[in-house]
Amino acid sequence: MKIIVTLKQVVDPLTPVSALKVDGARRKILGPPDTPPVINGYDEQALEAALRIKEEWRDGECQVIALSAGTGFDLDVMKRAFAAGADELVLIEDTALDTWDVSFIVRTLAAAIKQLGGADLVLCGRQASDWDNAQAPLMLAELLGLPCLTLARRVEVKGQHVQVERVLSDGIQVMEANLPAVVTVTSELGELRYPPMRARLQAAKRRPRTMTLKELGVTATPPAAVEMLDLSLLQIERDCQFVKGASEAEAGRMLAELLIGGGFIKPQQA
Amino acid sequence: MSGILIFAETDDGTILPNFWEQVSAARQVADPLGGGLRVAVQGSQIKDASDALKSGAEQVYVTNDARLGEPWSEAHLETFTALCRELQPELIILPRTLLGMEIAARLAQRLDAGLAQDVMTMQLAEGKLTVTRPVFGGAASATLRLTRPPWIIVPRTGAFAPAEPLSTPKGELVARQANLVDDALKTRRISRTRQTSKINLERARVIISGGRGLGGPEPFQLLHEIAERMGAVVGASRPPCDSGWVDSGMQVGLTGKTVSPEVYIAVGISGATQHMTGCSSSRVIVAINQDPDAPIFRMATYGVVGDWKQVLPGFCEALA
Ligand SMILES: Cc1cc2nc3c(=O)[nH]c(=O)nc-3n(C[C@H](O)[C@H](O)[C@H](O)COP(=O)(O)OP(=O)(O)OC[C@H]3O[C@@H](n4cnc5c(N)ncnc54)[C@H](O)[C@@H]3O)c2cc1C
Repeated sequence: MKIIVTLKQVVDPLTPVSALKVDGARRKILGPPDTPPVINGYDEQALEAALRIKEEWRDGECQVIALSAGTGFDLDVMKRAFAAGADELVLIEDTALDTWDVSFIVRTLAAAIKQLGGADLVLCGRQASDWDNAQAPLMLAELLGLPCLTLARRVEVKGQHVQVERVLSDGIQVMEANLPAVVTVTSELGELRYPPMRARLQAAKRRPRTMTLKELGVTATPPAAVEMLDLSLLQIERDCQFVKGASEAEAGRMLAELLIGGGFIKPQQA
Repeated sequence: MSGILIFAETDDGTILPNFWEQVSAARQVADPLGGGLRVAVQGSQIKDASDALKSGAEQVYVTNDARLGEPWSEAHLETFTALCRELQPELIILPRTLLGMEIAARLAQRLDAGLAQDVMTMQLAEGKLTVTRPVFGGAASATLRLTRPPWIIVPRTGAFAPAEPLSTPKGELVARQANLVDDALKTRRISRTRQTSKINLERARVIISGGRGLGGPEPFQLLHEIAERMGAVVGASRPPCDSGWVDSGMQVGLTGKTVSPEVYIAVGISGATQHMTGCSSSRVIVAINQDPDAPIFRMATYGVVGDWKQVLPGFCEALA
C-alpha cells in the first residue's frame, strides 16, 4: 500500500487581518516577519488519515509519502510530516510555483506522483487556506484519470477499494471508489497527531528528497486561464455598541430588550 | 462556443433556490455575451423543471435519473460534461454547493476552462471576464481575469439578488438521458443518512450560533430554547462541528454555510475570518464573549462582554 499525501505550506490562517500585508507586485499575502508558515490544516488532516490507515498494516507494508510543491519552504515546518510518521518527504521547490495558476501546480504534482511510481491512494486536504479554491485535488484526480471522493471524515481501505464517510451539508454519505483513487479530507476527521519528543528529534535529522521542475519536465505555459489583477485586504469593522448592566444577566436582559425594541427580534407567542 | 449554461441543482426533485441567483448573475452579462441562456436540470423525479423556463432560457435540458437524485459527483459530472461538450457554452454557472463547487473544478480541468469560485461581482469587457472574490478565509479580496472562454463561475450565495421569474416564458423543455453505465463508474454510493429536521440556515431571518466557548454539546440545548422563543435557527462555528457536539450542517463560515440574516447572534465565538466571512453581511451582528479583546467585537453591532452562562439566562428571560 502506497499513500501519497499532498501538503501545502501557507501563511498561518489564524493571523489577524491587521497583521497581514499584501505584496502588490507579487500579488501575495504575507504574514508577519519572523512568524513561521504552517502546513495547510486540512492537509495535516489528510496526513492523519494516511497514518491511521498505515496503522492497519504490518510494518513495512504501507508507505506514506508526503509531497509538496512550492517555494521558500521552512524545513522545520515541513519536517513535521516526518515527526508525525511519514516515511518520506518530497519537496519540489521553485519560485515559479509561487503562483495562482492551479493548473500549473496540479501538473507539477501529477508529474511528481508519476515519478514516484504512482500511488494506491492520494490523500489531500479539502482546500488550502490561502486561496480557498478547493480545486487542486479535483483537477489532480482528473489529470491522473483517477476516481475522486471528497470531504471525508473517515477513510478506510478495504481490499481493492477505499470507503469514505463524506460530510455533506445535511448529513453523511458513505461512498466507495476503486483504487487507485484521490480522496480529500475535511476537518471532522480530527487533528494531526502530536508526535512524541523522540520522533521530533529524529525528524530534525532527516532530509527531504527534492525534485526539480526540470527533472519533472513541467513548465508554466502562459497565459494562464485565470490571472490575478489585484489583491487587497478586507477590513470589515463595525462600531460595536457595548451593552452593560449591573450584572452579566442584567446585560443579557438589556441586550434582548434592545433587539426587541429595535424590531430586530420578536418574542414568539407560546 | 456561445451562450450561457446554468447548472440547476435539485434536492428531492426540487430546484435549489440558488438557481435564481445564478440567473441573476447570468443576466448581468447576457447582453454583451449574446448566444442566449440554457439551463441543465439534473435530478431524480424532478417536479419543477418548467419553473426553470421562467429564467428566460431558450432550452431547459432535463435529465431524470435515480442516480442523479443524490449529490453523487461522478454521476452528475459525467452527465453534465456530455451536455457541455454538445452545447459548447461560453460561460457556465454552477451553484455554490458542495456538489456545484466540485463539478466546477473537475469540469474546468476537462474543458480547459478558466474557473472562479465564490464570485462576488463580475464584469465583461473586451472579451474578458473580470470577477472579484474573497480569498484567505475572507481576509482579502482578489480581482481575477478569466483570460479565454470557456469560463466557469460559481457565485457566492447571497452576492447576486435572486432574479425575477418571467411571467410568459418562451423556451422549451428538452428531456435527456443520463447515459451512465454502472460498470463504467468508478465510485459507488453505499448509504446516506440525512438530518431529520431540515434547518435552513441560509434563508433564516434570525440566527443564534454557538462556538467552542460553549464547552460541550449540552449548552446548545439552551441555544435551541432561546431560538424557539424568538423564531430563530441555531448555527455553530467549526469547532463544535469538528468535535461532534452538533451536526456539521449547522456550521457557518467559509467551509460551512454563508448566511445573511437580519440578526446574527454569536455566543462564545472568537470571530476568526473564516467564520465571519460566512456571516459578515448580516444586518446586525451581536456578540456575547467573555474576552473583551475577542476580534468578534470589532465586527459586531452590539456586544456583551461576559460569560454566556450568566448572559444567556437574562437574555432568555426577556423573551418570555
Ligand atoms: C481553511 C479554513 C476554513 C475554515 N472554515 C471555517 C468555517 O467554515 N466556520 C468556522 O466557524 N470556522 C472555520 N475555520 C476555523 C476558524 O479559523 C476558527 O478556528 C474557528 O472559527 C474558531 O471557532 P470559535 O470561535 O468557536 O473558537 P475559538 O476561536 O476557540 O473561540 C472561542 C471563544 O469563546 C469565548 N469563550 C470561552 N468561554 C466563554 C464563556 N464561558 N462565555 C463567553 N465566551 C466564552 C472565548 O473568549 C473565545 O473568544 C476554518 C479555518 C480554516 C483554516
